[in-house]
Amino acid sequence: MANEPATMEEKLAELRAQYALKIADRVDELQVHVDDLKRTEDNAHNDRLKKLRDGAHKLAGSGATFGFPGVTHYARKIEQMCVKTLEQGLPVSVELIAKLNVLCEQLRQSAQEDEQQDVDPKPASYRPEIPDLHNSSRQKVLFIMEYDGPTAMQILLEMDHFGFDARIIDHPAKLLDDLRSNGAVDVIVTGLAFDGDDEAALKVLAELRQQADYKATPVVVHTTVDTMSARLGAVRVGVKAYLIKPIDMADLVDILDHVTMRHEDEPFRVLVVDDDESLATHTELVLQGAGMDAQKTTDPQKIFEILDDFSPELILLDLYMPGCDGQDIAAVIRQREEYAGIPIVFLSGEADKTKQLSAMEMGGDDFLTKPIKASHLISSVRIRAGRFRQLRSFMVRDSMTGLFNHTTTKQMLDTEIARVRRSGAELALASLDIDHFKNVNDTYGHAVGDRVIKSLARMLRQRLRSADVIGRMGGEEFAAILPESGLEEAARVFDQIRKAFSEIVFHTDGTQFNVTISCGVASFADHNTATSLSDAADKALYAAKHGGRNQVVKAD
Amino acid sequence: MSNGKLNKILYVEDDLDIQVVAQMALETVGGLTLSVCSSGQEAIDKAADFEPDIILLDVMMPDMDGPTTLANLRTIEHLQSTPAVFMTAKVMPSDVERYKQLGAVDVISKPFDPMTLAARIQTIWSECHG
Repeated sequence: MANEPATMEEKLAELRAQYALKIADRVDELQVHVDDLKRTEDNAHNDRLKKLRDGAHKLAGSGATFGFPGVTHYARKIEQMCVKTLEQGLPVSVELIAKLNVLCEQLRQSAQEDEQQDVDPKPASYRPEIPDLHNSSRQKVLFIMEYDGPTAMQILLEMDHFGFDARIIDHPAKLLDDLRSNGAVDVIVTGLAFDGDDEAALKVLAELRQQADYKATPVVVHTTVDTMSARLGAVRVGVKAYLIKPIDMADLVDILDHVTMRHEDEPFRVLVVDDDESLATHTELVLQGAGMDAQKTTDPQKIFEILDDFSPELILLDLYMPGCDGQDIAAVIRQREEYAGIPIVFLSGEADKTKQLSAMEMGGDDFLTKPIKASHLISSVRIRAGRFRQLRSFMVRDSMTGLFNHTTTKQMLDTEIARVRRSGAELALASLDIDHFKNVNDTYGHAVGDRVIKSLARMLRQRLRSADVIGRMGGEEFAAILPESGLEEAARVFDQIRKAFSEIVFHTDGTQFNVTISCGVASFADHNTATSLSDAADKALYAAKHGGRNQVVKAD
Repeated sequence: MSNGKLNKILYVEDDLDIQVVAQMALETVGGLTLSVCSSGQEAIDKAADFEPDIILLDVMMPDMDGPTTLANLRTIEHLQSTPAVFMTAKVMPSDVERYKQLGAVDVISKPFDPMTLAARIQTIWSECHG
């Protein structure tokens, strides 16, 4: 094959420069379609949307080819919105047009920024596009019931950053109709006062609660009305949170996340040890019936084997077994460091309190007397196993953000590096730091600083893939391990995160501010030990800080 | 049809900017002969007189998309078993399977690396004639 990389790269660079000149015109064309959407009748919308979709698709494709990642990112968002609107036959709403306008503007800006970037004209190897919403779930639908257009629009655009699919309803009278035509809603944010009636929204919410489909829909009140009567009324119609305006958007996101969380936890793993086969089976079935993952053994000698394989979160132990006393088993388990914290609950016919207590001294956590009611057994197990799970998560996770803590992140980096050594796959590491974070704390207080940290944690969780490991390394420092990603891709992904994060507006005490982040990325291909990879990412981060912050720097 | 060497490619892509890069990648770097088409219809018209060793198509094109174009090309006698490759920006593992069901032997994700595109297609073609 005739290979002339040098001239080829020069040619590509020239093509890129020519392409850069065209982008503004292309964005203008998209903007024309958006403006037409506003003006045309409903029946002409589809045609316009298709034109917009195709134009954005082209721009996303060519942008990626010529190394304009921001252009690709925003063009793809426009494309996705059109596709969704067309596929679901949704109306062309005011919100949609507002979002499209914002995206066109972002496209324009990112085209200029991308052009300044001195990119390698060779595109990065492919990494599947990271969807803007959380990988594992669909976008959550949010209704904003608010008479004040600008406030509603501000909430909508902010929540859009956080992956909520928001719609605005300007009057409570329209809520039920909108729900009927729209179907699904995950959460409602509503004002209370409409048409001079301070509690207007409450009547509609009461009606909403009468409908089976929306009985449990979480509602958050966001209002200037701060009276006991209104607060009581809100509680009576099942409002989950009552917020007084103006509210910081990051707080609102936290609350929305919290009230829309679906608890689909893994079932608790419980080991049942009882020499009586039929009793063991019965206990096992009771726990399985309650949705737990229960395993039984009638042979105490096998316990350690099972512990290592099954890693239970609670052990139910019969106190009297032939040749092997439950107390002794508990003591033996407790001597193994990794099982020192696992809850052990004795289950026995022993009604003598003194004997029960001596069993507890040997390492038991609770004593249940047989025969026991199934419901009692289930709740005892659930409470203890739940607490154990929570305690363990505190050991591996950072309590404020729920991200992995420093120690765990370092351990996971070792594990991932061992894995890519075997598989030969790529791996990238990013070090991030919030710019001028000390100023945020000093100016607005630690509570606000914490909000900034939580917002960043949330954005990382949302924009990275489920296989990526995200850790909070301390204060305002974060790290992310990206399997299957090379240096260029990691830089591209984090540049998108950097940009998105800088667009979030934080509100506090009547003022508002933005925060930026700096980031260094390094790849396993260039630094093949955990230490050298960490050092390289940190060094790149340091370079990003010294290069003026709010940027992503690739390690040498 | 095959004389053991990949030479001619029928390339269908509606975006002129990307066309130019791919053309450079395949002609300059790869030394291959290209028939470049900007739409499915143009590909059908040109294919009658051009006997490609491999067909390379963009998936999303206005009017006639890649899979439809391929189905139409397959009705031309000398293209019934010509290996075809789709190019698309949205490649998930599950999609690759779907594109293969549509008669492609492989999928190349956009953005492609102009330095290795020709080699990549050469590899795909060789595997078909292994």
